[in-house]
Amino acid sequence: MNQPATVAVTGLTVRHRRTVALDALDLSLSPGIHGLLGPNGAGKTSLIRVLATVAAPASGRVELLGGDVGSHGERTAIRRRLGYLPQEFGCYPAFTVREFVAYVAWLKEVPADRAAAAVERAVERVGLADRIDARMKTLSGGMVRRAGIAQAIVNEPELLLLDEPTAGLDPEQRVDFRALLRELGTEATVVVSTHLVEDVAAACTDVALIESGVLAFRGTTAELAALGGESGDPGDSTTNAIERGYTAALRAHRDRLAARPAGQRAKESLR
Amino acid sequence: MRLPPQALYLRSRGLPGALAALLGTAAAAAWAAWWLVSLPDFDHTARLPVVVLGPLLAAGVIGTSLHTPSDELDRTAVRAWWPRRLVHVLAPTALAVALLALALPGHAEEFGAPAAVRNTLGLMGVAAGATTLLGARLSWLPPTFYAGVVYLAAPAGAEGGAVWWAWVTRPGPEGEAWAVAAVAFAAGAALYAWRGSRRTTGEA
Repeated sequence: MNQPATVAVTGLTVRHRRTVALDALDLSLSPGIHGLLGPNGAGKTSLIRVLATVAAPASGRVELLGGDVGSHGERTAIRRRLGYLPQEFGCYPAFTVREFVAYVAWLKEVPADRAAAAVERAVERVGLADRIDARMKTLSGGMVRRAGIAQAIVNEPELLLLDEPTAGLDPEQRVDFRALLRELGTEATVVVSTHLVEDVAAACTDVALIESGVLAFRGTTAELAALGGESGDPGDSTTNAIERGYTAALRAHRDRLAARPAGQRAKESLR
Repeated sequence: MRLPPQALYLRSRGLPGALAALLGTAAAAAWAAWWLVSLPDFDHTARLPVVVLGPLLAAGVIGTSLHTPSDELDRTAVRAWWPRRLVHVLAPTALAVALLALALPGHAEEFGAPAAVRNTLGLMGVAAGATTLLGARLSWLPPTFYAGVVYLAAPAGAEGGAVWWAWVTRPGPEGEAWAVAAVAFAAGAALYAWRGSRRTTGEA
């Protein structure tokens, strides 16, 4: 953590009606690739949506790329430098890949003289260059996902938020995607929400593990793997070690919660 | 292919289709108005159904065009959406107003151009408000329900405050009916510009 933080979140609370999705979360991230892990419903998507400035938090402070998301003017500047792949992004089905990515380039205010080249470069980087003029409705699930990644990187973002980017990709595409991720992560801050531990093992420099809206573990990928301990199996892979580390970190976090004073537990159970 | 990027916005909202539908609605309204008046026992007051249905169809067409297929991505747009939303309500409404006014020539004191303009504005306001509350795809429902009930229930005279609540069925020059329609349009357009369509997919 010697670089300045590009994402600084303090006391972030997000509510969906009466349930608490994120509970006073503190997190800071610097350039690199960060894996966001956690069980389903832990609050990963809620966090990504707040970081993408599409959802407003109930309370807390969110600073992205040196600007405060709460301020209208700074949020505008942040959005130019932000890329976001939602878990489910809709698109107008009659758009071609080129038109879809160009539409997002327009939303992101990529200068008109550079937009056409930026669109082609983004589509090429995700390996869809041969389908650039195919309509979105004719693409397979994996291709739609790659078109989604292309729109997220069209403005060459300094902060890239990817929610379940590998869903629907076949193994070869996942390998290509991780290579692209490593390339992007050399300059940008990339946050990848996933529940595929192998994505984290292959591409991420560090990991934030979220459980029930609070941070359960924060550290490097190696530290998470080390938490799992030795398996004694000589054929053990990094993925297995991270899986054990993930489980160990979750259990340790739950044990810490259970050991809390009764008053605090009562507050927890209200959720 | 080298169209300005705003053309992508227009296409993504299905506005070319909406434009065609508005033209078709106006043409159908003009024909229906002419046909009704040409029937032997009817005079120009028989144009009431056209004055209600034409604007209702136009409001439905414009209201459903407010649907965005890429809501989540649209929220990451650098510029604020409200000016674009406002233009998206005002420009097609202005077009619909002009087309329907042309479709109903003469007899401004009964069911002519003024009544059609008033109903287009008022029903469009209801549809725009419904877009924010129910989502764009269902936005035609409240104005249809309202216009249907009023059409069946409205008295011929002005008794029981009909000039207010049954404004869609009133003759053109009545100030009260105009006031209700104007308020409905201003409130609906402002609400839509401020809040946008209700999210109907991807609720997280």
